[in-house]
Amino acid sequence: MPEVKVTTRRRGSPKKETKPTVDTTRIAVVGIPASGKTTYFRFLSGHFGLNLPILYIPSRADNGSLPLYGDLENDVALEETTYETTDPTDPEGSLETTTRYYVNRPMEDRRKLWVELSAGRDEQGILTKYPLPTKFNQFVEMKMRFRYAAPGGEAGSRPMELSTVDEAGGIIADYFTYDRLWLTSAEEEVTEKSCRVIPHFDSWRPDRRDLWKRGLTLLGRFVCGADAIILLLSPGLPSLRDQAQQVNLARGVFRYTHARNLPLVIAISKADKLKEFYTEVEQSVRERTFQSAFDPVDFLLRRDGAGMGTILVAQEGRGISTKEDVFLISSAVSTGEGHPLFIGETGDEAPTSGTATMGVPVMVNTTLPLARACERILQRRATKGS
Amino acid sequence: MQNDGGNPPFAPMRERNVLLLDLSKSMLAPLPDPQGGGPERQKIEVARTAVFRILQDAATSGTLFGLVTFTETVRVPVPLGEIHRENLPYIENLISLLTPSGRSAIWDALGVGADLLRMGTMGVQGNLVLVTDGWDNASTRFDVRPEPKGKLADGRVDLVPYLLPANSRVTLRVIGIGSGDERDKGVDTGRMNQVIGQMTQRASELGLAPAFSFQLVTTGSQLFAQMVNAFLDVGYDDDRPIEELHPEELAHHAANAARALKEPQQHATVSKIKNAQSAGRVAGNGSYSEAPDIEVDFLTSGPGGPPAYLKERYGPLGEVVEAYISGDTDRALQLIERTQGFLPPVTRLYWEARIQFARRAVVEAARALLQAWTEAEKLPPQTQAPILRRLAVLQARMQNDKETETLVRFIDETEHHLANGDPKTRERVMDLFAKLMELRGTYQLTRLAGEGDLQDAAVKHEAAVEEVFGMLQDARLELATQGASVEGALDFIEICLAEMR
Repeated sequence: MPEVKVTTRRRGSPKKETKPTVDTTRIAVVGIPASGKTTYFRFLSGHFGLNLPILYIPSRADNGSLPLYGDLENDVALEETTYETTDPTDPEGSLETTTRYYVNRPMEDRRKLWVELSAGRDEQGILTKYPLPTKFNQFVEMKMRFRYAAPGGEAGSRPMELSTVDEAGGIIADYFTYDRLWLTSAEEEVTEKSCRVIPHFDSWRPDRRDLWKRGLTLLGRFVCGADAIILLLSPGLPSLRDQAQQVNLARGVFRYTHARNLPLVIAISKADKLKEFYTEVEQSVRERTFQSAFDPVDFLLRRDGAGMGTILVAQEGRGISTKEDVFLISSAVSTGEGHPLFIGETGDEAPTSGTATMGVPVMVNTTLPLARACERILQRRATKGS
Repeated sequence: MQNDGGNPPFAPMRERNVLLLDLSKSMLAPLPDPQGGGPERQKIEVARTAVFRILQDAATSGTLFGLVTFTETVRVPVPLGEIHRENLPYIENLISLLTPSGRSAIWDALGVGADLLRMGTMGVQGNLVLVTDGWDNASTRFDVRPEPKGKLADGRVDLVPYLLPANSRVTLRVIGIGSGDERDKGVDTGRMNQVIGQMTQRASELGLAPAFSFQLVTTGSQLFAQMVNAFLDVGYDDDRPIEELHPEELAHHAANAARALKEPQQHATVSKIKNAQSAGRVAGNGSYSEAPDIEVDFLTSGPGGPPAYLKERYGPLGEVVEAYISGDTDRALQLIERTQGFLPPVTRLYWEARIQFARRAVVEAARALLQAWTEAEKLPPQTQAPILRRLAVLQARMQNDKETETLVRFIDETEHHLANGDPKTRERVMDLFAKLMELRGTYQLTRLAGEGDLQDAAVKHEAAVEEVFGMLQDARLELATQGASVEGALDFIEICLAEMR
């Protein structure tokens, strides 16, 4: 993962550096802007490529052994393709793509990796974020390859792909919120007319409107081919508009997955922001023997941990089970001061100042939604006989 | 005489209105006002009042309006067109400068009015309102037969068929000022009845619905009664127009409003607000009418002080509001107490509460407001909703209930902003507000349901939210070009929906 290879190619270029995968199962990750999509992908690929450890809260009886594996047949663990409008005045709408590949080899300076990947969005440099300054002229397709083996099931593992459209949380939120935008096939396009369902769309700059329309089309086609969806929800959003956007997205995703009978898994990301959960994390890091008995369902439903109120209750048994399909995760636990929390080789928290110390970021439950999504996909296939 | 033939079998075109105003010298004469107790008013003052009211209505409803004035000469100071609220002060100034002189060419004025409403082969389409105190003594083009087969003056055109050609849909309302028993002392009652009679006869021959009336007004009070039958309200000093809000502020307002929907025990006033839908529909019927329905107007006072012509437009209530806005609450209270007997009780009690609240007399204010609620319940449904909302805003103010106030104000302001727009758009947005209000019920069930029933309640609530959200999306698609007020209302509803969880 730490080695980054960047190539640039024009739209329509047939060149592709990853090995083609046969019968890959696709899981789409969706969430509003800053819901943690990038971190989720980067740190999960760190887990697959570098065996970064995962902490589980509540503690798991199986000691965290999940049938998820890195894809050893493929050098590329994570692939990010930036779509950028180079000339908004071009009526043909030139769109240039730049692809960055993260491969499964450790970096020489491992500590550098953690710092780069864990930094806050504002502090992230050009290496870890996308090279253009505005979100309105680009979006990024992220694909992470891994394998999943159904526990106790058939021999061997099968290729899976986790994908999202990054830097496009607004597009994702709009697409799912407004079902009048939904495409029914991967050949369709979102029309300018249907885009008017988006508030104030007509008042936007033409190039932004055009990019949004393309992004919606890309996303629409992308989710048309998805076998499951992971919905990332961010708790404790300070802005009421962001809260409304997230709730509308969640309701839209429920509608979407109901309509298509798609498996849905919910990940409450950045769960370390929730005080009760962070307390468990802190104790788990401090005491190696601590067995957390945290009850996520009770927390979510009775203490409103997800800010979803009765929405989750209403969905219970209608495509999701709150007990089995909703997870509190934290892909990069923060110290609370804008720095990632590291644990050293001894298992204690690594100091963030003074002499450079080796440490790994604390990830909590990050793999659980993925494993559950895979499990549900296979269950669904088995039910359908495919 | 009243001869409007009851309800016509089909609705006349009410969207095109022409007012014919007599400016002959006799309009300078005073009109006795034995019941009013105040100084006598000139007929022209009373007539101007009627014109102000009609203009206000036209601006509110977005109907087309034209003004014809006549002495021995007929003029068209305001050609038939849409009256925009921002142009009202200019037009009202123009009206206030009209000075009576000379004689009356009533029939010629009616002919010109009909010409304004003429639409080719469709004949005359629209409403004519004639306000006059005189006898026709100056017409040169038209005449009215003294009897159905009577003879016209030489070279004149018969007014009645000219006013009512085939295929027409026209209404004529004559407001005659002063008794015409003596020549030049008032309207020529006999001739007016002849016009109405002949129009009715002709309508019958053509198979058209007769919609013609003649109302005699012998005192200032009688005409005045039409303008006091109003519920007038003004904004509070710290009100901020919704269109000035930053999107995040709008979100805060919507979230606040949603709390009023979610917590009925703490926001009991909300339950008193009737379905906004009917209010939205009623606002569309804004043309001039003498029906006893109370007209609800909301005024904003600009930096220059109270709105112009308050007294002229609203009579004693206008005076009360003028005193209130200028901060003279003692005088405002005195004035409102004098209005007992001719202002609608709900209006009087509301203003009593409002003034008492401004004077920090909380108990008196609460008592008056309670009585106002009782009176409001007696109102016909079509007038009730906007009045209930005004009462609710005051009550929320008195109880420092920001959430309810925000919700009600937003609905009210939206309706006010959309008053000049397309009635279907207004109806649609108000329908959405009504649906939003209905979500209180399903949301409450999720709060009250026990453990076992909670999921059922939540599922029903989510289904209801989904239905409203679908309506909202369709409204977004179809009303995309309807302007900031519509967009703001839809944004508000969308955020409220997100909060109802």
